[in-house]
Amino acid sequence: MSDSIPDVRPAADGNLVEMRDIHKWFGPIYALRGMNITVKRNEILGLIGDNGAGKSTLIKILSGFHLPDKGEIWFEGKRAHIQSPRDAKALGIETVYQEQALAPHVSISRNVFMGREPTRALGFLDRKVMAVESLNALAKIGLHLRNPESIVETLSGGQRQGVAIARVLYFKAKLVILDEPTIALSVKESQQVMDFMKQLRDEGLSVVFITHNMYHAYQVAERFVIITHGENTADVKKGETSIDHLAELVIGSTPAGGRGSNEA
Amino acid sequence: MSTAPVRSSRPHALAGLVRLTSLNVFILFLLISVIFTLLSPSHRLIDPDNITVYLGLGAEFNIVALAVGLLMICGEFDLSVGSILVFCSFSVMKLVFAGENIYLASAITLAIGAAIGFLNGFITVRARIPSFITTLGTMMFWRGVTVFWSEGLQKPFDTTSYFVFTKVFSDPVGGVVPVQFLWFIGITVVLWFALHRRPVGNWIYVTGDNSLAARAMGINTNAVKIGVFAFVGLICGLVAIMQISRTGAFTSRAGDGWELRAIAAAVVGGTSLTGGIGSIAGIFWGALIISLIENGLLVMRIPYFWTYTVFGVVIVGSAILSAFLDKRRSSLGRETG
Amino acid sequence: MGNTKSVLLRILSFKISFTLVVFVALFLVFTIFTPGHIFVSSANLASLARLAPDLGIVALPVGMLMICGEFDVSVPSIIAMSSFVFVNLLGWGVPLAVTPFLTLLVGALMGLMNGILVVKTRIPSFIATLGTQLFWRGILYVTSQMMPIGLRSSLPSGSFFETLLIGNIGGVLPVQILWLVGIALVLGFLVHRHRFGNWIFTTGDNKTAARAMGINTDRVKTACYVVVGVVCSFMAMMQALRIESFAATQGIGMDLRAIASSVVGGVALTGGIGSIPGVFFGTLTIQIIENGLILMGAPVFGINAFIGAVVILFVILNVGIERLSLRAQAAASPAGKGNGQ
Repeated sequence: MSDSIPDVRPAADGNLVEMRDIHKWFGPIYALRGMNITVKRNEILGLIGDNGAGKSTLIKILSGFHLPDKGEIWFEGKRAHIQSPRDAKALGIETVYQEQALAPHVSISRNVFMGREPTRALGFLDRKVMAVESLNALAKIGLHLRNPESIVETLSGGQRQGVAIARVLYFKAKLVILDEPTIALSVKESQQVMDFMKQLRDEGLSVVFITHNMYHAYQVAERFVIITHGENTADVKKGETSIDHLAELVIGSTPAGGRGSNEA
Repeated sequence: MSTAPVRSSRPHALAGLVRLTSLNVFILFLLISVIFTLLSPSHRLIDPDNITVYLGLGAEFNIVALAVGLLMICGEFDLSVGSILVFCSFSVMKLVFAGENIYLASAITLAIGAAIGFLNGFITVRARIPSFITTLGTMMFWRGVTVFWSEGLQKPFDTTSYFVFTKVFSDPVGGVVPVQFLWFIGITVVLWFALHRRPVGNWIYVTGDNSLAARAMGINTNAVKIGVFAFVGLICGLVAIMQISRTGAFTSRAGDGWELRAIAAAVVGGTSLTGGIGSIAGIFWGALIISLIENGLLVMRIPYFWTYTVFGVVIVGSAILSAFLDKRRSSLGRETG
Repeated sequence: MGNTKSVLLRILSFKISFTLVVFVALFLVFTIFTPGHIFVSSANLASLARLAPDLGIVALPVGMLMICGEFDVSVPSIIAMSSFVFVNLLGWGVPLAVTPFLTLLVGALMGLMNGILVVKTRIPSFIATLGTQLFWRGILYVTSQMMPIGLRSSLPSGSFFETLLIGNIGGVLPVQILWLVGIALVLGFLVHRHRFGNWIFTTGDNKTAARAMGINTDRVKTACYVVVGVVCSFMAMMQALRIESFAATQGIGMDLRAIASSVVGGVALTGGIGSIPGVFFGTLTIQIIENGLILMGAPVFGINAFIGAVVILFVILNVGIERLSLRAQAAASPAGKGNGQ
């Protein structure tokens, strides 16, 4: 770790997150090879790339599940040492996984407050607060449900994703990371989730999401970062690209910015 | 999201590990034999009489262990083997006393064993119950039924009149080599061929490793599992017959505690607790080790009570080892995406 | 129409209703069909009241552990071992003020060992605790030689402690019942009204989600194992006092019966689903089945067979019951209550 560089170095204006020169090995596998990613404030960023490119690994580092072997993370202009999911949450970085986000046989309110339950004396649950606040959080992203004690299993896929997303909003996230948020969802439900994401942005958060689905990505993101073989190979704004162009960038037939994909 | 890589049923790198493990088990076997021999009073362990007992009697357990291990490779547990055994024992006796020809009684018993096994498999697979719960229930059930029905039935019967029968199932060949051991070897060889050289073996491995992928590839995992469960039941029936042939009597304690030792044998032999990994050779030596431990404790005059603790340690120890090896295997390049 | 139907739906949406129905139905069946209605004779009920809490007290934390996704079948050995320690401590003259705490400590340590084993090695808990069951049983058998040890020589009857644990209120109501209800209440509040309970449910339902939300699932599981250990030790003392000795066979069979109680009470084998009231009535159900069958003349060994079949039956039924209660909940919607309530 290069501690000779002072922790407070002004980051470029408006950048919420900067990941600089991130390297990661898993045993002999060189998963991330010097990635540089920035996330601006109040933007929706789409991370796209083929399987095995490193997208999941990258966000896992950002959310504290993995430690980078080399490189730095800067958050809101300050150097961040994210050693665990708790650290990431403390900073305001929240991640929403698909199936793994909620406990299916537990109620909505208990899911929203999982791990961060409001309590009264001696640690007993403040169920009134849980009921009211969970519905409020859902309403904020446009999901209007009536019964906070409903078991999550009874909700549709889109509604479930909504609960997971509303949860991060409630906990004052600044950056929300979504891993394949629309996979396994119907067209209508995907639309619902994409609206949730836009609501998050309108609330002042930044959203980063990983997807394979170019159509969804194109609809909702303002900027795209393409990741290939552990490196970010392209960074384009929505206005500068099209769905087909994105696909080409992912496959690698169009060299963008002179960076080709290296063979392992 | 990254999908779990599907391990092929005979993965190249892992094949080496599996083979390595069964070699390790063999070495472990030799090691324990030597230690026990040295520790036993006047080296009783390698006394020919003892070896005969070890190979002969022990083979009865070993055969069951093979079947249990096979089931574990395809991803399921059977805790009811002892109960299936005792029920089949009982059924042989009951049928013989009812006047049936002993061969017919045996054939029927084999069918009964297979049917009970089939039931285990059917319930597990169709009702989606974890197999150790199903077989826990059936374990209690069949032993309970046996004890209930057998009250008073303790008459031994004279097996000398059925000398062909006993020749096949229990008399030492040439007066020396225990025939049970030959059965053990024979079944090992057959299973080895089935598992390592035939398509059905592939199906068993893949079902145990990743049943979703197996099903996607068109393998009827339900049929595979039910089939192996039925096979386990059949084997229990067979061993029950062998026991009856040897002792000529029925005891309601037959097979007591065999289920855990069988699992221990499989795990010591390199079978993974989560399925998909294991080999017949490994289970073969693992079973011999477990029987050896039992025999050894006896020969070394260690109070029988210690066997509980020893087996507790063996089970947990080998399970830890198994989990450790599993983790080593999967940590190689698991992360993708 | 509206009112009765919606009340009915609300009742059905509580899964425990089904356990209760089964319990009441069986109670009636045995009342009617036992010779001379002996099932409800005061002698039998008194005996039930004295003995049922044994399994009941143990089944509660076992069920709680199952809700968080793990099994503990080493319960018989913890019980026997604790009883051994308790009686021996008294025999060595350790004052009665101290002995119970040491005994509970033994249970806690054994539970802790189970917890660490399961959590650190990731072996299926069933196998791990089967291993520890055997391990401790062997040690116990060797050290005790399976000989019972009398209690009376070290503890004359009439002590306050004894009355506290197994006395009789007004000469009629066994204190054990109060202990059972008390422990049920404590664990019930813990599981359903405390945040630790939410951690238990979420750990059992979706461990990955719980961990992602910052819940230390390892600690939750270990804590549950420790509770099982402590409660088992407590029950062991109660039992030792009642039979006035240590017996190496104490606790035998409790592992499976505790699981059976939980399953009948609606606890799912995969975790995340269940309730303490459910386990409470589940254990009562199991025990009236055992009691009723014996009174009706069934041989003792046959009962095991029956319990085995009952477990399987209820595991299958639970899936259906779960579905039914969800549907009832959805139908009774705005007012309906959910799991974990």
